[in-house]
Amino acid sequence: MSAPILSVSGLSKRFGGLQALHDISFDVARTEILGVIGPNGAGKTTLFNNLAGLHRPDAGTIMLDGVSLVGLKPHRIAGLGLTKTFQNVALFAESSVLDNVLIGGLLRHGVAEARAFALHCLEQVGLAGIAQKQAGELSFPERARVEVARALATQPKILLLDEVMAALNHAEMEALMALIRRLREGGLTVIVIEHHMKAMLALCDRIIAISFGRKLAEGSPAEIARHPEVVAAYLGRAHAV
Amino acid sequence: MSRALVALALLAAALLPLALESEGYAIHVLTLALLFAALGQAWNIVGGLANQMSLGHAAFFGIGAYAATILQIRFGLSPWLGLVVALALGGLAAALISLPTMRLRGHYFALATLACGEVMRVIANTAAPLTGGPAGISVPFGAEGVWMMRFEGGRPIYWLMLGALVVVTVVFEVIRRGALGYRLRAVRENIAAAEAIGVDTARVKLQAAVISGALTAALGVLYAQFNFFFDPDTVFGVASISVRIALMAIIGGIGTAAGPILGALIVIPLEEFANAALSDRAAGLSQLVYGAVLIAMVLVEPRGLMALRFSWTFRPRRASA
Repeated sequence: MSAPILSVSGLSKRFGGLQALHDISFDVARTEILGVIGPNGAGKTTLFNNLAGLHRPDAGTIMLDGVSLVGLKPHRIAGLGLTKTFQNVALFAESSVLDNVLIGGLLRHGVAEARAFALHCLEQVGLAGIAQKQAGELSFPERARVEVARALATQPKILLLDEVMAALNHAEMEALMALIRRLREGGLTVIVIEHHMKAMLALCDRIIAISFGRKLAEGSPAEIARHPEVVAAYLGRAHAV
Repeated sequence: MSRALVALALLAAALLPLALESEGYAIHVLTLALLFAALGQAWNIVGGLANQMSLGHAAFFGIGAYAATILQIRFGLSPWLGLVVALALGGLAAALISLPTMRLRGHYFALATLACGEVMRVIANTAAPLTGGPAGISVPFGAEGVWMMRFEGGRPIYWLMLGALVVVTVVFEVIRRGALGYRLRAVRENIAAAEAIGVDTARVKLQAAVISGALTAALGVLYAQFNFFFDPDTVFGVASISVRIALMAIIGGIGTAAGPILGALIVIPLEEFANAALSDRAAGLSQLVYGAVLIAMVLVEPRGLMALRFSWTFRPRRASA
């Protein structure tokens, strides 16, 4: 394996009495699609927030292409090529869909170029038709796709998607998975948090399972699906074969 | 609003003083309205685009008025050069105030900025050797001439204020339509999301504050040249300046270029006429009526009079410029 694009080592984060992340380590290879699974409250989103600089970890290192991200502000981290979407969707609700994505494009372009690039990103997620709609008026699945388009507009090297498939129907989910695969072929590295196990097993090259802030297991989808602790902690008895 | 309509309104505004008595009351009120429209527009960069409700803009206004006037008294400096000094000092003061307050939101930001204006008022009252203290300060009389902004009659200073309003409005529009405007909107709507997609939110807020503060200070210089005399309680006043500036945009419609202009053209004449018509009836009656009308306006249309106009014109309320 060549040098990993992202290398996380010994990452810990505590909120008051809650150890949200405990000594998490993993590497992400270039153009890999890595899945992160775990029960609600396991620390998945906290992990993303630490990677993206929205939280500062108490301990550990995060290296993106050899550059340490710990202590950098989120906008610097986005500038270095790591962008995340928000689990609860955090669009600029009073702005149009196009303007939402355009602001992402401003990271690396002027306004005119950013607008053209934003339209391109909206086409990729299949939302070019509603570019002029106000973001606050969209349905949840549409908003999730705008989030993806806005993150893409920042032209990341590595994209963190936090439950963007929640509430999508089967066809929309298939379309988004196809998009993620296409983006990977174009050189993007992706980390995905999703609860939909079938989708995760089909999409990811590798999966990390976390529970109560600790890494339980790491491996190929097939290995994770068989891992006894993962099955017990997350998949439940119904999935145990 | 179409370009033709803006051009027509501008032409009418430029020609209007010719129809008015040169030293008259009407031209005085209109000049004041233009000044406050420009002030509201400068405030709009921070208060409208970033939604940071500054109640401390008197700090910049007074700094401009005092700096240029003191330099004129001591060194005979032209107010035009005073404008340049005011731009620099206003921008600097805005940066110094913005750095510690920019993390604050909503009421906390409003209170912190309000305190900054008050601190300046106290300083100006105390530093009597420099500012003249509570007794105030007068712009020195001299020969008429453009270089010293000393004009015959009320028309030139009216045109000067109109020019200032045009400049500030153009700055506002360029910002609103440009990258900074988009970033400020992102800051206003969701600061965490803005950061996560690469917006340097601290820098963006600082830029907006510096531009707004610099313009406000420059307008303070024009006020001094228009009014000839002022004291700390007037130019650093909470009610007389800080709240009044914010009021122009709030009444007219926040975040739009037309908002502060509309607001000032209604509020300033209203205030003046309430004063003129009612101040001899009973103490405080004019302020009471003025206040009641403002409250009524905000109750009828909290988004400002601009929104009211649009809701009359187009049925769907969302449709706006």
